[in-house]
Amino acid sequence: MKVPYNYLPMQFSQYEGIFDEWKELISSTEFTLGPYVENFEKKFGEFIGCKHVIGTNTGTDALILALKAVGVGPGDDVISVPITFYATVGAIIAVGARPVFVDIDDRYQMDESLIAKAITSKTKAILPVHWGGASPNMQAIMEIAQKHGLKVVEDACMAPGGSVYNKHAGTLGNISAWSMHPLKPLNVMGDGGMVSTDDDELADWMRMYRNHGMVDRDHNSIWGVNMRLQPLQAVVAEHILKTVNETVEIRNKNAQILDNGLSSLFPAVKVPPRPKGYKETYSLYMARFERRDELKKYLIENGIEAKIHYPVPLHLQKAAKDLGYKPGDFPMSETYGQEIITLPAHQFIDIDLLEYTISAIKKFYTNCLGFVDIPKMN
Amino acid sequence: MTTKNWIVPYIELGTEAEAFRKDYLKAFEQVLVSGHYILGPELSNFEKEFADFCQSPNALGVATGTDALYLALKALNLKEENEVITAPNSFIASASSIALAGAKPAFVDIREDGNMDPERLESAINAHTKVIMPVHLTGRPARMPEILEIANKYNLFVLEDAAQAIGARLNDKRVGSWGDAACFSLHPLKNLKAIGDGGMITTKHVDLYNKLKIARNHGLINREQCDFWSYNSRLDELQASLLRIQIRQLEAHTEARRELALRYNQLLKPYVVTPDEGPGEYCVYQTYVILAEKRDILQQHLIDNGVQALVHYATPIHLQPAAKYLGYTTADFPKTMKHVNHIMSLPIYPSMTHQQQDTVVELIHDFYKN
Repeated sequence: MKVPYNYLPMQFSQYEGIFDEWKELISSTEFTLGPYVENFEKKFGEFIGCKHVIGTNTGTDALILALKAVGVGPGDDVISVPITFYATVGAIIAVGARPVFVDIDDRYQMDESLIAKAITSKTKAILPVHWGGASPNMQAIMEIAQKHGLKVVEDACMAPGGSVYNKHAGTLGNISAWSMHPLKPLNVMGDGGMVSTDDDELADWMRMYRNHGMVDRDHNSIWGVNMRLQPLQAVVAEHILKTVNETVEIRNKNAQILDNGLSSLFPAVKVPPRPKGYKETYSLYMARFERRDELKKYLIENGIEAKIHYPVPLHLQKAAKDLGYKPGDFPMSETYGQEIITLPAHQFIDIDLLEYTISAIKKFYTNCLGFVDIPKMN
Repeated sequence: MTTKNWIVPYIELGTEAEAFRKDYLKAFEQVLVSGHYILGPELSNFEKEFADFCQSPNALGVATGTDALYLALKALNLKEENEVITAPNSFIASASSIALAGAKPAFVDIREDGNMDPERLESAINAHTKVIMPVHLTGRPARMPEILEIANKYNLFVLEDAAQAIGARLNDKRVGSWGDAACFSLHPLKNLKAIGDGGMITTKHVDLYNKLKIARNHGLINREQCDFWSYNSRLDELQASLLRIQIRQLEAHTEARRELALRYNQLLKPYVVTPDEGPGEYCVYQTYVILAEKRDILQQHLIDNGVQALVHYATPIHLQPAAKYLGYTTADFPKTMKHVNHIMSLPIYPSMTHQQQDTVVELIHDFYKN
């Protein structure tokens, strides 16, 4: 049996709608910004309940644009987490600021109880990450930010379709950055991203900066860059947006099945807590596993495409050597790096594949750890 | 980009895209079903084809032409006080990429032909200068032998801004193969164009190529190891697949453009300064730019009569609000200022007919006769 991680060929097997619109796009020659991009921006704004959405070329661009817009620059510190994709920190460095990490909690999200201690006079913003498609405690983070006069940029790259206490995930901070990389719940056929905000002034500035800082064709008032969402991809995004809610529903059901199946293996397997009030997108279905590397090898051998996101926390990457961190600084993050596995739980995984995955994990621990009473695999 | 109401539009993207539509959609379909959308086989094949085309050993696809300049400059680890010398009459990305890479843009005036003047270059060089960035504006190659000689003398890096000049040659050597590195734009108004944005970097230095290859993908050596914090600037497989179709037609399209440009030159010579080719130059005429007396009135005359004439660019970079802190004034670059007041871009595109071209010429003829 094969339990594939990559679902893109299945997802894009029905593409007539996209093709029809691409044909129109090619005839219209609207290849730079224009109506296809604007249409998607509007629809995504309605989807998340946010006033302004501005399409960018990548999720990384979105983070850079958001940080610049809230005024983060050289000499500033930005508080984030060491368990995230490289781009979160790459963006902080790109605007000339310094990343300051706080550890994660048992849900792999920014531990809000550690933020206050990390704040100094240099702190300008907090950059919480909706890691894996779960959300950190945004209410608590917003309270801390308000108390200390800090801006909040949310890394909502994995969050389309998620919610925090009935608000769409990624709508509480000053600006949110989103990614539409192929392996996100809202994806395109290449790179794409956007920023969202309710603030008119921030939105105006970001629209200008994204397009060379141009006020109009002949004048530019700031040095800007080119971070435009491609119309070809905006067409794809608009089509996929219609499927996001259903995708997230299926992923939630799949996650529930995996949670139930794996909970009995505690403490060898630690499924993260799932508190009420948060709807996860399960962009990554993750849990912590003892003897992780052996288990991962076993799963791969049995056709289950397990992944690790990621084994080395960012504070221990070579790129972070100038930040002055050392092993032991963020114990939860480091344990996470040693124990985490991502299992395929996407919308094309059915109940048979989930049960196969669960039984393979049970079999592994039966053999390794002497568990009994476990059904044999076929 | 409306083309409906013009007798002679500035460019006919629709006709061109229409001609390729079947091929594009077939290529898209192949990418679509492959499930491989980023940094895959289409891009690596296109990069090889692009490198061959530019007579350069290495080419790398990035998200935009601006990113190409920015990433190339960023890779040189410039310091705040370092200066990069470029031309003031270019698109703003030539200078903004320098500022955003953390260095200071410095400008040198241009020659009659609109490109950086090597004779003025030495006086712009100081102890902080690290890079010379000549721009092959409008598709005309800059005076590379003279510029390289000066660069060698002062040990400076030469980054060609070839955004508008794919295929242009000087003494049979293509742009993108002269300097240490070169940057190209694949914006829809360029001769080789994506349906959207795209950019390329060529370089003769394999170590720089290797560094940029990592820099465009988050600084990742592999999925798990990040060696330096960087960006995401990748050319999509979708775009690469259609660019591979186009690059096969590029020579033919460039020839069509040149035939029109050289015809314009002959027909317009009595009225305006035409962009003739200098010795050894093979221009690709991404824009066809004349110098005209009473430019603004002429432009209005053309527009009123259905000819979409444009100005690239009405405000030089050193006088943009964004450049205010650099302290330049209108007195600084007399040749550039003269250009700015007289330049006008006339419609040119491979599918333009001689009849359309004659319409433009007749209007200009009528204008100066009266």
